Amino acid sequence: MTLFIDRLAQAGRWRRRATADKVVLALGLLLLAISLPPWPGAALVLAVAWGAALFGAGVPPGDWLRLNAAPLGFALTGAAALAVEWSDGGVHLAADHGVRAALVVLRTAAGASCLLLLAATTPTPDLLRGSRRVGLPAEIAEVALLTWRFLFLLLDAAAAIRAAQEARLGWQGWRRSLRSLGLLVAMLLPRAMERARRLEIGLAARGFNGSLPMLSPVRPVSPAFLVAALGGEAMVAGVSLWLS
Amino acid sequence: MHIMEGFLPAGHALAWTVVSAPFVVAGARRLKRMVAERPEARLTLAAAAGFTFVLSALKLPSVTGSCSHPTGTGLGAIQFGPPVMAVLGTLVLLFQALLLAHGGLTTLGANVFSMAVAGPWVAWMIWRLAERLGLPSAVGVFLAASLGDLATYGVTSVQLALAFPDAAGGFTGALVKFAGVFALTQVPLAVAEGLVTVVAMNALEERRLRAGI
Repeated sequence: MTLFIDRLAQAGRWRRRATADKVVLALGLLLLAISLPPWPGAALVLAVAWGAALFGAGVPPGDWLRLNAAPLGFALTGAAALAVEWSDGGVHLAADHGVRAALVVLRTAAGASCLLLLAATTPTPDLLRGSRRVGLPAEIAEVALLTWRFLFLLLDAAAAIRAAQEARLGWQGWRRSLRSLGLLVAMLLPRAMERARRLEIGLAARGFNGSLPMLSPVRPVSPAFLVAALGGEAMVAGVSLWLS
Repeated sequence: MHIMEGFLPAGHALAWTVVSAPFVVAGARRLKRMVAERPEARLTLAAAAGFTFVLSALKLPSVTGSCSHPTGTGLGAIQFGPPVMAVLGTLVLLFQALLLAHGGLTTLGANVFSMAVAGPWVAWMIWRLAERLGLPSAVGVFLAASLGDLATYGVTSVQLALAFPDAAGGFTGALVKFAGVFALTQVPLAVAEGLVTVVAMNALEERRLRAGI
């Protein structure tokens, strides 16, 4: 089983670009999105992130829209609370007519686009290996890498159990669905531990000393890309501060 | 309940990262000790983190009609203990942000505090209290899982109210608004997760007994 974002990252145009290039672009924009005034700062970040994803990284437009729609559910629900005020024992439309709520939605959309730009172009193991180079303890990085490997095996196991339950009408009705989910969880935990135990035996037989070295091709940083990313970010910050 | 990327202002995002850091660092030190003593423990820990992630990717049937996802907070706290859950929870939240677009990197500190620190500790304390009071195991597990979920939701509402105080009602007014808006999905979710955790714990116990025989 694969995950949608991971599939985009593994097969995308920027797959072979250095992790540092993509981190400087996406995280730089993310920092600008949350620190600049939402208007026009977040709007400019949003435009640059969408441009980079669609035209630079070549993420298919339909996939990109689908990815961006997911975080908006929370943003809109939260913004609904911001668009109203609590006064005289009742709830009324906010005095600013929802401007603050709209600005928060804009900042969330910009922030989420930056996160998605990174996630949809950089596979998670690349980010973990990059974090290791900038000081993440080796033990934590290895547990995280192993977790990443377990995810897909366990998602497969969960999907298989769920298919078997559905074939026996286990997901008909609310009560039966809850019971089936509980049983699925109860079956999955021992399977996860059993798989870990089998892997442990296999590795011990091969002289496991606590480290799992893996092939990690070195991808050179592109000075031109970095200059363009930092230049673009400086321009977004400058224009935003000038206009506001 | 994850706070999405970009929702919190920069100052609040930073402050919650600072608040969560000691719990995660303490958990990471414990994890490093465990791994140093038993290198193979990293496989078990990775399996536990993978399990928690998969749990959060499963759809939970909700009475409001919409589908939500279990947090795994209660089950994780009961099975692995709250200190380990702080690190595993952080890893899981990071994977959720990068692989499912749930949560975010700048809001990671706030989400870690509500979902990997407050939720597991509340669930674990309630579970231990229920044991001491001699309540039936199923009742203890249900209360731990559902109140752990509600604690997560309560802390998230407080985080949002602190970041966006109401112009007229201040912090309290904002807290009532956020708690009210999210109660529609979070209260049924907490009840459903409590029930699912009881079924899961019963089945795990039965399996252990069978294995013992």
